[in-house]
Amino acid sequence: KRTKRAKKGTKPCSLTDKEMTVSQLGLGYVSDEVILFRYCSGKCVASRRNYDLALAKLKGQRLLTRENMDRARHSPCCRPTAYEEITFLDNRSQYHTIQEVSALKCACV
Amino acid sequence: MRLYLCGFLLLLLDDLSVCVSSSSSSSSSSSSSPSPDFVDCIRASEECNLSPQCSSRYRIMRQCLVGKDWNSMLANKECQAALEVLQETALVECRCKRGMKKELQCLQNYWSIHMGLSEGEDFYEASPYEPLPPVRLTDAVRLASIISSMNTGSGKAQSHCSDPSGTCNQCLDATKACNLNDNCKRQRSNYISTCTRSECNRKRCHKALRQFLERVQSQYSFGLLFCSCQDQGCAERRRQTIVPTCAYEDKQKPNCLQLRKTCRLDPFCRSRLADFHTHCQMSDDSISTCPNDDYQACLTAYTGLIGTDMTPNYEDANHTDFSISPWCSCRNSGNQEEECEKFLRDFRENTCLRNAIQAFGTDITKTTASTNPEAARSNPTANPNITKLEYDENGLKCSPVKGFICAEEEDSIGTEEKPEWSPSNWSIGLKLRTEAWMLSLLFAVGNAAL
Repeated sequence: KRTKRAKKGTKPCSLTDKEMTVSQLGLGYVSDEVILFRYCSGKCVASRRNYDLALAKLKGQRLLTRENMDRARHSPCCRPTAYEEITFLDNRSQYHTIQEVSALKCACV
Repeated sequence: MRLYLCGFLLLLLDDLSVCVSSSSSSSSSSSSSPSPDFVDCIRASEECNLSPQCSSRYRIMRQCLVGKDWNSMLANKECQAALEVLQETALVECRCKRGMKKELQCLQNYWSIHMGLSEGEDFYEASPYEPLPPVRLTDAVRLASIISSMNTGSGKAQSHCSDPSGTCNQCLDATKACNLNDNCKRQRSNYISTCTRSECNRKRCHKALRQFLERVQSQYSFGLLFCSCQDQGCAERRRQTIVPTCAYEDKQKPNCLQLRKTCRLDPFCRSRLADFHTHCQMSDDSISTCPNDDYQACLTAYTGLIGTDMTPNYEDANHTDFSISPWCSCRNSGNQEEECEKFLRDFRENTCLRNAIQAFGTDITKTTASTNPEAARSNPTANPNITKLEYDENGLKCSPVKGFICAEEEDSIGTEEKPEWSPSNWSIGLKLRTEAWMLSLLFAVGNAAL
Protein backbone atom coordinates (compact mmCIF):
# COMPACT_ATOMS: atom_id res chain seq x y z
CA LYS A 1 0.00 0.00 0.00
CA ARG A 2 2.73 2.35 1.04
CA THR A 3 4.91 1.65 -1.96
CA LYS A 4 2.02 2.31 -4.24
CA ARG A 5 1.43 5.66 -2.65
CA ALA A 6 5.12 6.49 -2.77
CA LYS A 7 5.24 5.80 -6.46
CA LYS A 8 2.19 7.86 -7.14
CA GLY A 9 3.15 10.71 -4.84
CA THR A 10 4.51 13.89 -6.32
CA LYS A 11 8.11 14.88 -5.75
CA PRO A 12 9.04 16.44 -2.43
CA CYS A 13 9.93 20.09 -2.06
CA SER A 14 13.12 20.80 -3.99
CA LEU A 15 14.99 23.25 -6.19
CA THR A 16 13.95 23.40 -9.82
CA ASP A 17 15.36 25.57 -12.55
CA LYS A 18 14.27 27.16 -15.75
CA GLU A 19 16.28 28.85 -18.48
CA MET A 20 14.89 32.25 -19.31
CA THR A 21 15.96 35.69 -20.46
CA VAL A 22 16.28 38.51 -17.97
CA SER A 23 13.45 40.35 -19.72
CA GLN A 24 11.12 37.44 -19.08
CA LEU A 25 11.59 37.89 -15.33
CA GLY A 26 9.23 40.84 -15.61
CA LEU A 27 11.22 43.04 -13.27
CA GLY A 28 11.55 45.82 -15.79
CA TYR A 29 15.06 45.02 -16.95
CA VAL A 30 15.60 44.63 -20.68
CA SER A 31 18.27 42.10 -21.49
CA ASP A 32 18.48 39.16 -23.83
CA GLU A 33 20.95 37.45 -21.55
CA VAL A 34 19.81 33.95 -20.67
CA ILE A 35 19.94 33.07 -17.00
CA LEU A 36 19.01 30.05 -14.97
CA PHE A 37 16.10 30.97 -12.75
CA ARG A 38 15.86 28.63 -9.77
CA TYR A 39 12.69 28.19 -7.76
CA CYS A 40 11.22 25.87 -5.15
CA SER A 41 8.46 23.42 -5.89
CA GLY A 42 7.13 20.14 -4.58
CA LYS A 43 4.97 18.72 -1.83
CA CYS A 44 5.54 19.14 1.87
CA VAL A 45 3.41 16.22 3.04
CA ALA A 46 6.27 14.48 4.80
CA SER A 47 7.12 17.42 6.99
CA ARG A 48 3.69 17.98 8.48
CA ARG A 49 3.75 18.48 12.24
CA ASN A 50 1.15 17.73 14.86
CA TYR A 51 0.10 21.31 14.43
CA ASP A 52 -0.83 20.71 10.82
CA LEU A 53 -2.75 17.56 11.59
CA ALA A 54 -4.65 19.20 14.41
CA LEU A 55 -5.45 22.21 12.29
CA ALA A 56 -6.67 20.04 9.45
CA LYS A 57 -8.92 18.24 11.86
CA LEU A 58 -10.27 21.50 13.22
CA LYS A 59 -11.03 22.74 9.77
CA GLY A 60 -12.61 19.44 8.79
CA GLN A 61 -14.92 19.55 11.81
CA ARG A 62 -15.82 23.16 11.06
CA LEU A 63 -14.76 24.18 14.53
CA LEU A 64 -13.15 27.31 13.10
CA THR A 65 -15.11 30.24 11.81
CA ARG A 66 -15.08 30.68 8.05
CA GLU A 67 -12.83 33.77 8.22
CA ASN A 68 -10.16 32.01 10.18
CA MET A 69 -10.41 28.93 8.07
CA ASP A 70 -9.57 30.75 4.85
CA ARG A 71 -6.26 31.92 6.11
CA ALA A 72 -5.11 28.93 8.10
CA ARG A 73 -2.90 26.54 6.18
CA HIS A 74 -2.60 23.03 7.48
CA SER A 75 0.44 22.10 5.42
CA PRO A 76 3.93 23.59 5.30
CA CYS A 77 4.86 25.58 2.20
CA CYS A 78 7.77 24.85 -0.07
CA ARG A 79 9.70 28.12 -0.03
CA PRO A 80 13.27 29.32 -0.58
CA THR A 81 15.34 29.68 2.57
CA ALA A 82 18.31 31.25 0.79
CA TYR A 83 18.46 33.41 -2.29
CA GLU A 84 20.95 34.23 -4.96
CA GLU A 85 21.70 37.42 -6.84
CA ILE A 86 21.74 37.71 -10.61
CA THR A 87 24.25 39.82 -12.50
CA PHE A 88 23.82 40.70 -16.13
CA LEU A 89 24.50 43.21 -18.88
CA ASP A 90 21.34 44.81 -20.21
CA ASN A 91 20.67 45.70 -23.82
CA ARG A 92 21.90 49.24 -23.24
CA SER A 93 25.27 47.98 -22.03
CA GLN A 94 24.69 48.64 -18.37
CA TYR A 95 25.56 46.06 -15.77
CA HIS A 96 22.98 45.28 -13.12
CA THR A 97 22.85 43.10 -10.06
CA ILE A 98 19.46 42.05 -8.72
CA GLN A 99 19.53 40.74 -5.18
CA GLU A 100 17.52 37.78 -3.96
CA VAL A 101 15.97 36.92 -7.27
CA SER A 102 16.80 33.26 -7.61
CA ALA A 103 16.39 30.53 -5.01
CA LEU A 104 19.43 28.79 -3.60
CA LYS A 105 17.91 26.43 -1.01
CA CYS A 106 14.40 25.18 -0.39
CA ALA A 107 12.61 23.95 2.68
CA CYS A 108 9.14 23.23 3.95
CA VAL A 109 8.34 26.09 6.28
CA MET B 1 25.88 8.43 -46.62
CA ARG B 2 28.37 11.20 -47.17
CA LEU B 3 28.24 12.18 -43.53
CA TYR B 4 28.78 8.66 -42.47
CA LEU B 5 31.82 8.37 -44.73
CA CYS B 6 33.37 11.51 -43.30
CA GLY B 7 32.68 10.45 -39.78
CA PHE B 8 34.43 7.22 -40.45
CA LEU B 9 37.42 8.98 -41.96
CA LEU B 10 37.63 11.27 -38.96
CA LEU B 11 37.88 8.26 -36.72
CA LEU B 12 40.46 6.67 -38.93
CA LEU B 13 42.48 9.85 -38.89
CA ASP B 14 42.19 10.15 -35.15
CA ASP B 15 43.39 6.63 -34.49
CA LEU B 16 46.27 6.85 -36.90
CA SER B 17 47.47 10.21 -35.71
CA VAL B 18 47.34 9.08 -32.12
CA CYS B 19 49.76 6.33 -33.13
CA VAL B 20 51.96 8.82 -34.92
CA SER B 21 52.07 11.21 -32.03
CA SER B 22 52.76 8.58 -29.45
CA SER B 23 55.69 7.23 -31.39
CA SER B 24 57.21 10.44 -32.66
CA SER B 25 57.04 12.67 -29.62
CA SER B 26 56.12 11.49 -26.20
CA SER B 27 56.85 14.82 -24.60
CA SER B 28 54.16 16.95 -26.14
CA SER B 29 51.22 14.60 -25.83
CA SER B 30 51.79 13.78 -22.19
CA SER B 31 51.63 17.38 -21.18
CA SER B 32 51.64 16.79 -17.44
CA SER B 33 55.40 16.94 -17.67
CA PRO B 34 56.54 19.49 -20.26
CA SER B 35 59.68 18.40 -22.03
CA PRO B 36 62.43 20.25 -20.18
CA ASP B 37 61.53 19.88 -16.54
CA PHE B 38 61.71 23.27 -14.94
CA VAL B 39 62.19 23.77 -11.28
CA ASP B 40 59.92 26.46 -9.98
CA CYS B 41 61.72 29.48 -8.64
CA ILE B 42 60.47 29.04 -5.09
CA ARG B 43 61.97 25.57 -4.95
CA ALA B 44 65.14 26.77 -6.64
CA SER B 45 65.74 29.52 -4.13
CA GLU B 46 64.95 27.15 -1.25
CA GLU B 47 67.54 24.78 -2.59
CA CYS B 48 69.97 27.62 -2.95
CA ASN B 49 69.39 28.66 0.64
CA LEU B 50 70.38 25.18 1.79
CA SER B 51 73.86 25.57 0.42
CA PRO B 52 75.87 28.20 2.31
CA GLN B 53 77.87 29.19 -0.72
CA CYS B 54 74.84 29.67 -2.97
CA SER B 55 72.77 31.49 -0.37
CA SER B 56 75.45 34.04 0.39
CA ARG B 57 75.96 34.80 -3.31
CA TYR B 58 72.23 35.03 -3.79
CA ARG B 59 72.02 37.59 -1.01
CA ILE B 60 74.88 39.58 -2.50
CA MET B 61 73.27 39.46 -5.90
CA ARG B 62 70.00 40.80 -4.61
CA GLN B 63 71.76 43.62 -2.84
CA CYS B 64 73.67 44.38 -6.01
CA LEU B 65 70.47 44.83 -7.95
CA VAL B 66 68.87 47.26 -5.55
CA GLY B 67 68.85 50.69 -7.07
CA LYS B 68 71.65 50.06 -9.52
CA ASP B 69 71.72 49.79 -13.23
CA TRP B 70 73.33 46.94 -15.02
CA ASN B 71 76.65 48.59 -15.83
CA SER B 72 77.40 49.90 -12.38
CA MET B 73 76.51 46.50 -11.02
CA LEU B 74 78.97 44.76 -13.29
CA ALA B 75 81.63 47.22 -12.29
CA ASN B 76 81.45 45.78 -8.82
CA LYS B 77 83.74 42.76 -8.60
CA GLU B 78 81.74 41.12 -5.85
CA CYS B 79 78.51 41.37 -7.78
CA GLN B 80 80.14 39.95 -10.87
CA ALA B 81 81.50 36.99 -8.92
CA ALA B 82 78.13 36.34 -7.34
CA LEU B 83 76.48 36.33 -10.73
CA GLU B 84 79.00 33.84 -12.06
CA VAL B 85 78.40 31.44 -9.20
CA LEU B 86 74.64 31.71 -9.46
CA GLN B 87 74.71 30.95 -13.15
CA GLU B 88 75.73 27.41 -12.26
CA THR B 89 72.68 26.81 -10.07
CA ALA B 90 69.07 25.88 -10.74
CA LEU B 91 68.06 29.47 -10.12
CA VAL B 92 68.97 30.49 -13.64
CA GLU B 93 66.75 27.91 -15.28
CA CYS B 94 63.81 28.22 -12.93
CA ARG B 95 60.32 29.12 -14.14
CA CYS B 96 56.88 29.77 -12.66
CA LYS B 97 53.45 28.34 -13.43
CA ARG B 98 50.46 30.47 -14.28
CA GLY B 99 48.11 30.66 -11.34
CA MET B 100 50.39 28.61 -9.10
CA LYS B 101 50.39 28.93 -5.33
CA LYS B 102 52.60 31.86 -4.31
CA GLU B 103 52.87 32.93 -7.92
CA LEU B 104 53.97 36.41 -6.96
CA GLN B 105 56.74 35.12 -4.74
CA CYS B 106 57.92 32.83 -7.49
CA LEU B 107 58.00 35.69 -9.96
CA GLN B 108 59.85 37.88 -7.51
CA ASN B 109 62.47 35.19 -7.17
CA TYR B 110 62.65 34.86 -10.92
CA TRP B 111 63.22 38.54 -11.53
CA SER B 112 65.63 38.87 -8.65
CA ILE B 113 68.08 36.85 -10.67
CA HIS B 114 66.94 37.58 -14.21
CA MET B 115 67.02 41.29 -13.69
CA GLY B 116 70.76 40.80 -13.63
CA LEU B 117 70.92 38.54 -16.64
CA SER B 118 69.07 40.79 -19.01
CA GLU B 119 69.99 44.35 -19.70
CA GLY B 120 66.86 45.50 -17.96
CA GLU B 121 65.97 47.77 -20.84
CA ASP B 122 65.22 45.08 -23.40
CA PHE B 123 62.28 45.67 -25.67
CA TYR B 124 61.17 42.07 -25.31
CA GLU B 125 61.85 40.04 -22.20
CA ALA B 126 61.77 36.27 -21.92
CA SER B 127 58.68 34.83 -20.25
CA PRO B 128 59.20 33.61 -16.68
CA TYR B 129 56.41 31.09 -17.22
CA GLU B 130 56.71 27.47 -18.11
CA PRO B 131 55.99 26.89 -21.77
CA LEU B 132 52.49 25.63 -22.39
CA PRO B 133 52.07 22.19 -23.85
CA PRO B 134 51.74 22.69 -27.57
CA VAL B 135 48.24 22.27 -28.92
CA ARG B 136 48.20 19.59 -31.50
CA LEU B 137 45.90 18.70 -34.30
CA THR B 138 45.16 15.27 -32.87
CA ASP B 139 43.90 16.75 -29.63
CA ALA B 140 41.86 19.24 -31.55
CA VAL B 141 40.16 16.61 -33.65
CA ARG B 142 39.47 14.43 -30.65
CA LEU B 143 37.95 17.24 -28.65
CA ALA B 144 35.96 18.40 -31.60
CA SER B 145 34.18 15.10 -31.69
CA ILE B 146 33.36 15.38 -28.02
CA ILE B 147 32.06 18.87 -28.47
CA SER B 148 29.96 18.01 -31.46
CA SER B 149 28.39 15.17 -29.56
CA MET B 150 27.67 17.49 -26.68
CA ASN B 151 26.03 20.09 -28.86
CA THR B 152 23.78 17.72 -30.67
CA GLY B 153 23.35 15.25 -27.87
CA SER B 154 21.80 17.37 -25.16
CA GLY B 155 19.51 20.15 -26.20
CA LYS B 156 20.68 22.28 -23.31
CA ALA B 157 23.90 23.44 -24.91
CA GLN B 158 22.21 24.22 -28.20
CA SER B 159 22.94 27.75 -29.26
CA HIS B 160 20.67 29.90 -31.32
CA CYS B 161 23.57 30.35 -33.73
CA SER B 162 22.64 26.95 -35.09
CA ASP B 163 19.23 28.28 -35.96
CA PRO B 164 19.54 29.81 -39.42
CA SER B 165 16.46 32.00 -39.06
CA GLY B 166 17.47 33.85 -35.92
CA THR B 167 20.27 36.36 -35.66
CA CYS B 168 23.42 34.95 -34.19
CA ASN B 169 25.03 36.71 -31.28
CA GLN B 170 27.95 34.62 -30.24
CA CYS B 171 28.76 36.79 -27.25
CA LEU B 172 25.23 36.35 -25.93
CA ASP B 173 25.63 32.62 -26.36
CA ALA B 174 28.90 32.68 -24.47
CA THR B 175 27.19 34.57 -21.65
CA LYS B 176 24.44 32.01 -21.57
CA ALA B 177 26.96 29.20 -21.39
CA CYS B 178 28.61 30.97 -18.46
CA ASN B 179 25.30 31.62 -16.70
CA LEU B 180 24.37 27.97 -16.91
CA ASN B 181 27.63 26.93 -15.28
CA ASP B 182 27.53 27.54 -11.55
CA ASN B 183 31.21 28.30 -11.11
CA CYS B 184 31.40 30.64 -14.08
CA LYS B 185 28.22 32.42 -13.05
CA ARG B 186 29.45 32.95 -9.51
CA GLN B 187 32.89 34.20 -10.54
CA ARG B 188 31.48 36.45 -13.22
CA SER B 189 28.92 37.88 -10.87
CA ASN B 190 31.72 38.46 -8.37
CA TYR B 191 33.95 40.52 -10.64
CA ILE B 192 31.06 42.43 -12.15
CA SER B 193 29.71 43.48 -8.79
CA THR B 194 33.22 44.44 -7.64
CA CYS B 195 33.89 46.44 -10.79
CA THR B 196 30.52 48.19 -10.95
CA ARG B 197 30.40 49.58 -7.41
CA SER B 198 29.55 53.23 -7.35
CA GLU B 199 33.15 54.17 -6.59
CA CYS B 200 35.40 52.18 -8.86
CA ASN B 201 38.23 50.60 -6.93
CA ARG B 202 40.50 49.64 -9.75
CA LYS B 203 42.84 47.46 -7.73
CA ARG B 204 40.02 45.35 -6.37
CA CYS B 205 38.34 45.20 -9.75
CA HIS B 206 41.56 43.97 -11.35
CA LYS B 207 42.00 41.39 -8.64
CA ALA B 208 38.47 40.08 -9.12
CA LEU B 209 39.03 39.89 -12.87
CA ARG B 210 42.25 37.93 -12.39
CA GLN B 211 40.42 35.61 -10.06
CA PHE B 212 37.69 35.07 -12.61
CA LEU B 213 40.19 34.24 -15.33
CA GLU B 214 42.14 31.97 -13.03
CA ARG B 215 39.27 30.00 -11.61
CA VAL B 216 36.95 29.64 -14.55
CA GLN B 217 37.60 27.09 -17.25
CA SER B 218 38.90 28.86 -20.29
CA GLN B 219 36.19 27.49 -22.54
CA TYR B 220 33.89 29.93 -20.74
CA SER B 221 36.19 32.90 -20.26
CA PHE B 222 37.58 32.71 -23.78
CA GLY B 223 34.05 32.45 -25.11
CA LEU B 224 33.18 35.73 -23.43
CA LEU B 225 36.39 37.48 -24.45
CA PHE B 226 36.86 36.29 -28.00
CA CYS B 227 33.38 35.72 -29.39
CA SER B 228 33.04 36.82 -32.99
CA CYS B 229 30.42 39.37 -33.88
CA GLN B 230 28.19 40.30 -36.78
CA ASP B 231 26.56 43.34 -35.30
CA GLN B 232 27.37 46.23 -33.05
CA GLY B 233 25.33 45.06 -30.09
CA CYS B 234 27.38 41.91 -29.95
CA ALA B 235 30.66 43.79 -30.31
CA GLU B 236 29.66 46.15 -27.54
CA ARG B 237 28.89 43.22 -25.29
CA ARG B 238 32.32 41.78 -26.09
CA ARG B 239 33.97 45.10 -25.30
CA GLN B 240 32.05 45.31 -22.03
CA THR B 241 33.20 41.88 -20.85
CA ILE B 242 35.93 43.21 -18.57
CA VAL B 243 33.82 46.18 -17.35
CA PRO B 244 36.07 48.70 -19.14
CA THR B 245 34.78 51.76 -17.30
CA CYS B 246 36.52 50.53 -14.18
CA ALA B 247 39.12 48.00 -15.30
CA TYR B 248 40.35 49.69 -18.47
CA GLU B 249 39.53 53.33 -18.96
CA ASP B 250 41.05 56.11 -16.91
CA LYS B 251 40.81 59.89 -16.81
CA GLN B 252 43.95 60.23 -18.86
CA LYS B 253 45.71 58.07 -21.39
CA PRO B 254 49.32 57.71 -20.31
CA ASN B 255 52.17 57.30 -22.73
CA CYS B 256 52.67 53.64 -23.59
CA LEU B 257 56.33 53.57 -22.65
CA GLN B 258 55.49 55.20 -19.36
CA LEU B 259 52.83 52.57 -18.80
CA ARG B 260 55.33 49.86 -19.65
CA LYS B 261 57.71 51.31 -17.10
CA THR B 262 55.00 51.17 -14.45
CA CYS B 263 54.17 47.64 -15.46
CA ARG B 264 57.78 46.50 -15.25
CA LEU B 265 58.06 47.75 -11.70
CA ASP B 266 55.47 45.16 -10.70
CA PRO B 267 56.83 41.62 -11.03
CA PHE B 268 53.39 40.26 -11.84
CA CYS B 269 52.60 42.73 -14.61
CA ARG B 270 56.13 42.48 -15.95
CA SER B 271 55.86 38.69 -16.17
CA ARG B 272 52.52 38.75 -17.92
CA LEU B 273 53.78 41.30 -20.42
CA ALA B 274 56.87 39.22 -21.09
CA ASP B 275 54.62 36.19 -21.54
CA PHE B 276 52.45 38.09 -24.00
CA HIS B 277 55.48 39.17 -25.99
CA THR B 278 56.78 35.62 -26.01
CA HIS B 279 53.62 33.96 -27.25
CA CYS B 280 51.98 36.61 -29.40
CA GLN B 281 55.00 38.01 -31.13
CA MET B 282 54.54 38.21 -34.85
CA SER B 283 56.97 36.17 -36.88
CA ASP B 284 57.32 35.65 -40.60
CA ASP B 285 58.30 32.02 -40.19
CA SER B 286 54.80 30.71 -39.84
CA ILE B 287 51.69 31.38 -41.88
CA SER B 288 49.61 32.13 -38.80
CA THR B 289 52.39 34.58 -37.79
CA CYS B 290 52.25 33.13 -34.27
CA PRO B 291 55.22 31.44 -32.61
CA ASN B 292 54.91 27.72 -33.45
CA ASP B 293 51.46 28.45 -34.90
CA ASP B 294 50.14 28.11 -31.39
CA TYR B 295 47.03 30.27 -31.16
CA GLN B 296 46.06 28.93 -27.76
CA ALA B 297 49.32 30.02 -26.18
CA CYS B 298 48.81 33.53 -27.52
CA LEU B 299 45.25 33.75 -26.24
CA THR B 300 46.32 32.51 -22.83
CA ALA B 301 49.12 35.05 -22.66
CA TYR B 302 46.72 37.79 -23.76
CA THR B 303 44.18 36.93 -21.06
CA GLY B 304 47.04 36.87 -18.58
CA LEU B 305 47.43 40.60 -19.07
CA ILE B 306 43.85 41.33 -18.04
CA GLY B 307 43.82 42.58 -14.49
CA THR B 308 47.25 44.19 -14.66
CA ASP B 309 48.23 47.80 -15.35
CA MET B 310 48.67 46.74 -18.96
CA THR B 311 45.09 45.44 -19.25
CA PRO B 312 44.22 45.30 -22.95
CA ASN B 313 40.74 45.60 -24.42
CA TYR B 314 38.82 46.20 -27.62
CA GLU B 315 39.05 49.87 -28.43
CA ASP B 316 35.52 50.21 -29.77
CA ALA B 317 32.38 48.28 -30.65
CA ASN B 318 33.26 47.87 -34.28
CA HIS B 319 31.95 44.52 -35.45
CA THR B 320 33.53 44.36 -38.88
CA ASP B 321 37.03 44.87 -37.62
CA PHE B 322 38.47 45.02 -34.15
CA SER B 323 41.36 46.85 -32.66
CA ILE B 324 42.99 45.98 -29.37
CA SER B 325 45.12 48.20 -27.20
CA PRO B 326 46.12 48.84 -23.62
CA TRP B 327 44.90 52.15 -22.22
CA CYS B 328 47.76 54.27 -23.54
CA SER B 329 48.84 56.31 -26.51
CA CYS B 330 52.10 57.43 -28.08
CA ARG B 331 51.56 61.10 -27.48
CA ASN B 332 54.38 62.84 -25.64
CA SER B 333 56.88 60.18 -26.61
CA GLY B 334 59.62 62.67 -27.46
CA ASN B 335 62.57 60.97 -29.07
CA GLN B 336 61.20 57.55 -28.23
CA GLU B 337 58.25 57.80 -30.57
CA GLU B 338 59.47 54.97 -32.74
CA GLU B 339 59.89 52.60 -29.84
CA CYS B 340 56.49 53.55 -28.50
CA GLU B 341 54.83 52.91 -31.86
CA LYS B 342 56.56 49.57 -32.05
CA PHE B 343 55.27 48.67 -28.62
CA LEU B 344 51.71 49.69 -29.47
CA ARG B 345 51.80 47.86 -32.80
CA ASP B 346 52.19 44.58 -30.92
CA PHE B 347 48.66 45.11 -29.69
CA ARG B 348 46.95 47.11 -32.39
CA GLU B 349 48.39 45.56 -35.52
CA ASN B 350 49.34 42.17 -34.23
CA THR B 351 48.35 39.67 -36.91
CA CYS B 352 49.14 36.75 -34.63
CA LEU B 353 46.76 37.96 -31.94
CA ARG B 354 44.17 38.90 -34.53
CA ASN B 355 44.31 35.51 -36.24
CA ALA B 356 44.16 33.73 -32.92
CA ILE B 357 41.04 35.62 -31.86
CA GLN B 358 39.37 35.17 -35.22
CA ALA B 359 40.21 31.48 -35.32
CA PHE B 360 38.69 31.03 -31.89
CA GLY B 361 35.49 32.74 -32.96
CA THR B 362 35.09 30.76 -36.15
CA ASP B 363 35.65 27.52 -34.31
CA ILE B 364 32.72 28.22 -32.09
CA THR B 365 30.46 28.95 -35.00
CA LYS B 366 31.49 25.73 -36.60
CA THR B 367 30.99 23.61 -33.55
CA THR B 368 27.70 25.14 -32.57
CA ALA B 369 26.43 25.18 -36.11
CA SER B 370 26.92 21.49 -36.46
CA THR B 371 23.70 19.62 -36.85
CA ASN B 372 25.29 16.41 -37.80
CA PRO B 373 23.74 13.68 -35.70
CA GLU B 374 25.34 10.89 -37.67
CA ALA B 375 28.91 11.93 -36.97
CA ALA B 376 28.12 12.95 -33.44
CA ARG B 377 26.67 9.62 -32.59
CA SER B 378 29.41 7.57 -34.14
CA ASN B 379 32.36 9.43 -32.64
CA PRO B 380 31.99 8.90 -28.90
CA THR B 381 31.25 5.24 -29.27
CA ALA B 382 34.43 4.75 -31.20
CA ASN B 383 36.57 6.55 -28.63
CA PRO B 384 35.12 5.22 -25.41
CA ASN B 385 38.18 5.78 -23.28
CA ILE B 386 38.48 9.39 -24.32
CA THR B 387 34.86 10.21 -23.78
CA LYS B 388 34.91 8.63 -20.37
CA LEU B 389 37.97 10.59 -19.39
CA GLU B 390 36.94 14.00 -20.51
CA TYR B 391 33.21 13.85 -20.71
CA ASP B 392 32.04 13.92 -17.15
CA GLU B 393 31.18 17.19 -15.49
CA ASN B 394 28.45 19.30 -17.06
CA GLY B 395 28.45 17.20 -20.13
CA LEU B 396 31.74 18.55 -21.33
CA LYS B 397 34.85 19.10 -19.37
CA CYS B 398 37.82 20.65 -20.99
CA SER B 399 40.80 18.55 -20.30
CA PRO B 400 42.92 20.69 -17.99
CA VAL B 401 46.05 19.07 -19.30
CA LYS B 402 45.50 20.39 -22.76
CA GLY B 403 44.49 23.77 -21.52
CA PHE B 404 41.41 24.97 -23.22
CA ILE B 405 41.06 23.43 -26.60
CA CYS B 406 37.43 23.01 -25.98
CA ALA B 407 36.14 24.88 -28.96
CA GLU B 408 38.04 23.37 -31.75
CA GLU B 409 37.68 22.53 -35.35
CA GLU B 410 34.67 20.37 -35.90
CA ASP B 411 33.07 20.40 -39.25
CA SER B 412 35.80 19.83 -41.74
CA ILE B 413 33.47 20.22 -44.69
CA GLY B 414 33.35 23.88 -45.59
CA THR B 415 36.46 25.50 -44.20
CA GLU B 416 37.08 27.34 -47.43
CA GLU B 417 35.68 30.62 -46.22
CA LYS B 418 38.36 31.06 -43.55
CA PRO B 419 41.80 30.88 -45.07
CA GLU B 420 43.75 31.18 -41.80
CA TRP B 421 42.37 27.98 -40.49
CA SER B 422 42.81 25.88 -43.58
CA PRO B 423 44.36 22.41 -43.38
CA SER B 424 47.56 23.44 -45.12
CA ASN B 425 48.30 25.94 -42.37
CA TRP B 426 47.70 23.36 -39.75
CA SER B 427 50.04 20.93 -41.35
CA ILE B 428 52.82 23.49 -41.43
CA GLY B 429 52.21 24.40 -37.85
CA LEU B 430 52.20 20.87 -36.65
CA LYS B 431 55.00 19.71 -38.88
CA LEU B 432 53.61 16.24 -38.99
CA ARG B 433 53.50 15.10 -42.52
CA THR B 434 51.44 12.04 -41.90
CA GLU B 435 48.69 13.98 -40.30
CA ALA B 436 48.75 16.55 -43.02
CA TRP B 437 48.48 13.90 -45.61
CA MET B 438 45.61 12.24 -43.85
CA LEU B 439 43.85 15.53 -43.42
CA SER B 440 44.16 16.53 -47.05
CA LEU B 441 42.80 13.17 -48.00
CA LEU B 442 39.90 13.75 -45.72
CA PHE B 443 39.25 17.11 -47.27
CA ALA B 444 39.53 15.76 -50.75
CA VAL B 445 36.94 13.14 -49.98
CA GLY B 446 34.76 15.65 -48.22
CA ASN B 447 34.85 18.02 -51.17
CA ALA B 448 34.33 15.30 -53.70
CA ALA B 449 31.30 14.13 -51.81
CA LEU B 450 29.90 17.62 -51.83
